[in-house]
Amino acid sequence: MIPAILTGIRLHMKQASRNPFDLSGVIVWPILYATIASYLLDARHEPRLLLSASLGASVMLMWSLVVIASSGALEQQRWQGTLELVVAAPTPLTAVIAPICVAGALVGTYAIGATLAWGALLFDVPVKIDQPLAFAVGVPACALAVGMLGLILAATFVLYRAAFHLGIATQYPVWIVTGLLVPISLLPSFVRPISWLLAPTWGFRAIQEAALGRTPWPDIGMCFVLSAVYLVIGGSCLVAFEYVARSRGSLRLT
Amino acid sequence: MNTVRVVFVGGLTSYRALFNWISPWIFIPHTLGYPIFEILFFAYLGRFAGVQSDRFFLVGNAFLAIAVTGMFGMGHATAGERRSQTLATLLASPANRFAVFLGRALPSIVTGCFVAATSFAVCAAILGVHVPASAFGGLALATVAAAFACTALGLCIGALGLRGRNVSVFADVITACMLVVSGANVPLHRLPGWVQTISSGIPLTHGIEAARAIANGSSIAGSADLLAKEAAVGAVYLVIGLIMLRLFEYEGRRTASLETF
Repeated sequence: MIPAILTGIRLHMKQASRNPFDLSGVIVWPILYATIASYLLDARHEPRLLLSASLGASVMLMWSLVVIASSGALEQQRWQGTLELVVAAPTPLTAVIAPICVAGALVGTYAIGATLAWGALLFDVPVKIDQPLAFAVGVPACALAVGMLGLILAATFVLYRAAFHLGIATQYPVWIVTGLLVPISLLPSFVRPISWLLAPTWGFRAIQEAALGRTPWPDIGMCFVLSAVYLVIGGSCLVAFEYVARSRGSLRLT
Repeated sequence: MNTVRVVFVGGLTSYRALFNWISPWIFIPHTLGYPIFEILFFAYLGRFAGVQSDRFFLVGNAFLAIAVTGMFGMGHATAGERRSQTLATLLASPANRFAVFLGRALPSIVTGCFVAATSFAVCAAILGVHVPASAFGGLALATVAAAFACTALGLCIGALGLRGRNVSVFADVITACMLVVSGANVPLHRLPGWVQTISSGIPLTHGIEAARAIANGSSIAGSADLLAKEAAVGAVYLVIGLIMLRLFEYEGRRTASLETF
């Protein structure tokens, strides 16, 4: 199963990196969010805040790509008529879908470089990573955790052909609740416990703390813990939903 | 008369097909949920930054909902036909092209205006923004002007769909740029001069400005020049879009590339 997952991640990352036009979207979206944040937050005259906003914009895109990658890949296979073959293959469906989600998140890491370079060039954002090692570990940990959260979402895509739209609708709520650009302390108090359950909260904190030289390791640890929990929940949901879709005969419905 | 029939019957059919494909229980939370949370996201970002009022972000992002539906509705009309491999058949028909594609986009535009109005009302209640009832007429007028201009730009994007296969991604990128350039989320005076020049030539900028002025108490007459500018921008894109549609259809037929996917 592990070789299947690793091969899948490599394959989907290569596939997602092939089309320069699609990649332009990966670069443009976070840059624009970082630009908006920079123009607005510039008023506070805190350069480190702008660095944090650039990282937040990158994690925002990471989540978007996970949603799009997991649902888009399944939808594509439905259109091509290959989803039943994938489901019927002896490889567990989790090992097929998890790499799609994680690869989506890893493609989102391109955005980190793009937003940091954009911020440095246009807004004089000081790109100084205080703990490079923690940052180097934090970025893939963040991608893994966000990708695994996508696995839970992907489970519903097996069942519902239009679940993509629900997935897209989760973008802004997740961005708000996880405090990627707006501090959670500014939001109503009921939001805080919800944020603890979502990977982007910890993933963003991990890379933010590493960049700003604070204490990233507990957050990185939380990323790995959440990844394992999501894998168990997502895997179980996939098995259950796959059974339901098979029994209803609804896998191929486009 | 036949053109009008193509617009409305085609639009009604495509709308019915949409709801045959997607359950309203998924469609409604998606179409309403996205703009509502978008408005809240930027309003909270504005509060955090201490820049502008909630009303500023409320108006700007409610209008973006119109842009999204106008541009995607029109832009995706050709891409959807290509994807379902019906584009060549559709273009073989003698029907007016603009009427065919406008018919497909019209329901999206109407939905967009409804979504913008609903999300505006919901978020105004959540954020505690009060807009006087006397402003509703002017806001509706600004909505129509912005919807027209965005649909016209969508026509240009849709025409590109006759030649390229990634117009949805392109429309996505254009929408993303409008978050900044239209002044929906960043006050125009904070943007560089060259961006402000671009802003004045794209849909939405003048519509948003007019809507903000009206929501702040200005009369329709006081914002008439802005509304006229928005309509004029839309008219220019409409002409460009119609030319592109004709040109790219001709090229697509000549190079037999209509069904390339």
